[in-house]
Amino acid sequence: MAGSGIAHMRNSTDVVLTVRDLVVEFRLSKDRVVKAVSGLSFDVIKGEVLAIVGESGCGKTTLGRAILQLPPPNSGEVIFEGTDLTQLPKDNLRSARTAIQMIFQDPISSLDPRMTVKQLIDEPLEIWQRGDEQERSVRINELLNNVGLDSELVLDRHAYEFSGGQCQRISIARALALDPRMLICDEPVSALDVSIQAQIINLLQDMHDRYGLSIIFISHDLAVVKAISNRVMVMYLGKICEVAPPEILYAKPAHHYTRALLNSVPIPDPTRQTRTELLQGEPPSPMNPPTGCRFRTRCAAASVLCTQQEPQLREVSPGQFVACHHPII
Amino acid sequence: MLFLAVFGSLLPFKSWKFVYEDDLGVVPFSPGHILGTDNNGYDLLSSLIAGTRMSVFIAVTAVSLGGLIGSALGITAAFVRGKVDIVMSTLFNVGLAVPNLVLALALVSVLATNVDINQSVPTWRRVMVLIISLTIVLIPILGRIARGATLSWSGRDFVTAARSMGMRDRQIIMKHIVPNVLPALIAVAFLAIGVVIIAEASLSILGVGIPDGASWGGMIARGRNDLEYSPHVLYVPVIVLAITVISTNHLGDVIRSSLDSRESKV
Amino acid sequence: MNSLLSIKDLNVSFDTPRGMLEAVRNVDIEIAAGMSVGIVGESGSGKTVLSRAAMGLLQGSNVHRTGTVVFDGHELTAMTRPDVRSHFGTGMAMIFQDPMTALNPVRRIGAQISESLIFRLGMSKKDALKRSFELLQLVRIPDAKSVLRKFPYQLSGGMRQRVMIAIAISCNPKLLFADEPTTALDVTVQAQILQLLRELREDLGMAMILVTHDLGVVAGNTDYVAVMYAGQVVEFAPTTKLFADMRMPYTEALLESIPKIDHPVGKRLLAIAGRLPDPTDRGSGCSFAPRCKYFQNKCLEESPTLKTDPDGHLYRCFFPIGEAL
Repeated sequence: MAGSGIAHMRNSTDVVLTVRDLVVEFRLSKDRVVKAVSGLSFDVIKGEVLAIVGESGCGKTTLGRAILQLPPPNSGEVIFEGTDLTQLPKDNLRSARTAIQMIFQDPISSLDPRMTVKQLIDEPLEIWQRGDEQERSVRINELLNNVGLDSELVLDRHAYEFSGGQCQRISIARALALDPRMLICDEPVSALDVSIQAQIINLLQDMHDRYGLSIIFISHDLAVVKAISNRVMVMYLGKICEVAPPEILYAKPAHHYTRALLNSVPIPDPTRQTRTELLQGEPPSPMNPPTGCRFRTRCAAASVLCTQQEPQLREVSPGQFVACHHPII
Repeated sequence: MLFLAVFGSLLPFKSWKFVYEDDLGVVPFSPGHILGTDNNGYDLLSSLIAGTRMSVFIAVTAVSLGGLIGSALGITAAFVRGKVDIVMSTLFNVGLAVPNLVLALALVSVLATNVDINQSVPTWRRVMVLIISLTIVLIPILGRIARGATLSWSGRDFVTAARSMGMRDRQIIMKHIVPNVLPALIAVAFLAIGVVIIAEASLSILGVGIPDGASWGGMIARGRNDLEYSPHVLYVPVIVLAITVISTNHLGDVIRSSLDSRESKV
Repeated sequence: MNSLLSIKDLNVSFDTPRGMLEAVRNVDIEIAAGMSVGIVGESGSGKTVLSRAAMGLLQGSNVHRTGTVVFDGHELTAMTRPDVRSHFGTGMAMIFQDPMTALNPVRRIGAQISESLIFRLGMSKKDALKRSFELLQLVRIPDAKSVLRKFPYQLSGGMRQRVMIAIAISCNPKLLFADEPTTALDVTVQAQILQLLRELREDLGMAMILVTHDLGVVAGNTDYVAVMYAGQVVEFAPTTKLFADMRMPYTEALLESIPKIDHPVGKRLLAIAGRLPDPTDRGSGCSFAPRCKYFQNKCLEESPTLKTDPDGHLYRCFFPIGEAL
């Protein structure tokens, strides 16, 4: 699986975010280090929705936060609109951050329970002095209406009075307050009820279309990802397995892990239950990842080469990049 | 209780200093003295009232000071983490290991006692030393609570969100951490008031409290001697002490649950 | 039908500070031996309360329950708690969403599995441990011998769930309640666990009630599906029939709104407007009416009752799909 394979990177002027050789590790004790993200690179083009997909422990959430330098990565570059965020001094970083905002998985804990909705959305505006009180008030109403909430009804209430879906809308309104150019959504619908997920996904899509946002959409749910993304990046144990547009990835996955993931998704149609060979075993510990290709311990096609050499990303079909010594053709 | 403490000196009760020689050791509900007097002639009710003022003043001051300093240290330590946190936690743990009464005793005897035991020390000096020693004991206790609460609140997503908005750390602490940590602190603070009142009383019984028995502990100390003949002298302050502690605990609970219920869902 | 579990007209409400919370309303379900039934619903649908009530696990002074639950001929609703408990293990068993809270963190795995065997089947400690080893192998835990000596925190989520399944089947129960057993697991682990459950059911002939919010999970793992909304069963049918011939607008809307793997890229999802109903304020009329795209005035005024089709398909709607208006 790819280390820093860069075959999938694009060299166009439209690239808005470039991440290079990012490493994030957590030291638990003297010899126990969690290698959450191990030297990966990718980029995002302006207006693109890049989905980062993987199961727990693959490092996708850590990656999302590392882009915002929360906490800063151990090494690597994060170049947003020409500036390397990892090199910025504290104050510059603070202002640079306003261009990238984040939406979190748990809608309720991402809002301070002691604040009213008005205060919550006013906060970023106030920090950066975007207008006087009157102007900010107008903007707050505008933001709330954009996300489908009736500002009159919600302004004076507290977060815990709302449902998960509504809280997520409030979070989105707050994130858009500073006119960011990029949104990082960390499992934004995973904690919501099934019938509400579609509402929020559509809302994110609308906001994307209206404001020309670039979005990094982190999720473990392949079906959700398909509905919203332009490009999909599959991660496993801190490394990238495959990068491709969804039409190709879902129809013809080249990486064995991608295929196993797709086969595992339950299909809501009793007539189409494919009982294919399931992925056995459990993911290895990120403290002690396998040598060579990290997926080899669960891969049916693993060979000796896979234990020795870490595969690099390479193009196997137009737009489809895979890090595997024996990709599925 | 509070009411009495604040307004005690203004009420037209008999002076507690005055010795009623004619009514030595009189039981409660005797004419002229609702709660009776002790064997030296001091009117119990008035003594109580004066004592209330002193005990409550000491307790509230110590808890407030201890709370402010302790929580400032605890919150900062938990928020900043790293070396600062390790050092602070160690200090807290050391502080907790020191038995408080012993510390108070030591401090009082060193700082507020004259070499010549016959001469008495100004009351206010005793009071100050008492407050200081109690505060020192309280700092690690309240500090740890603050630290624990801060640790759990700083992990929440809305703090990360605040950071990503570009908020300065200091602002985050003041606007987000402190208001959420406050309910837990207040609840413990009220409990602490009760405990401190008792601690002060114990110190007085040991003889290092307020001289002249102008506090409940002092009254209890004096009452000990009279137990055989006039038990009411002991019972009265003890009962009052117990009621006060119970009511402050209860008050703390009530305040905490009303602050919390704002937060709870469904 | 020779019922293993028969729930008749079950109503469960709770006293809360915000008013009476009607969690379950007029539910009738019958399950025969060996049958597997999926209960699908979102939050507030009542599915969790229903499964707890069916196991006799509801307690508390603020619980109001009417209706009967009869398991294997014994009326659970009329029994005291200790008597109900005597049916656990050998009669019915339960696995939960979060194995971490169901397992005792300070006892080793072997001890926890053996406990059930010793207590219910009267085995000796030695025999129980041997059987525990076999059970761990049955649920496909690798290196079962060393796992016996481990503590729950040393195992991954998937492994813990397998242990919980091992405990649940240890006394050969006739009925297994699985309450969102895979919701907290990764998708590949979920697939493994569901496959395991399917195979165990076949081998042991257990009936199963699978509570979930995921229509995909029920599609592949159940014979019958009951769809719940706002505390009521709104549709019930054999699984194949439910998907092929939906009657309830809610079920249809739900299926249409969930993102699917084979959904064409770029096509917008059909979201259901509105919010889930408030369980403290049920109101009159059909609970789904405010969000239903077929609704008519009658739906707001009257509450539909459960109707049965000749082929056994139950639904709760005045204007079901497929019926000429």
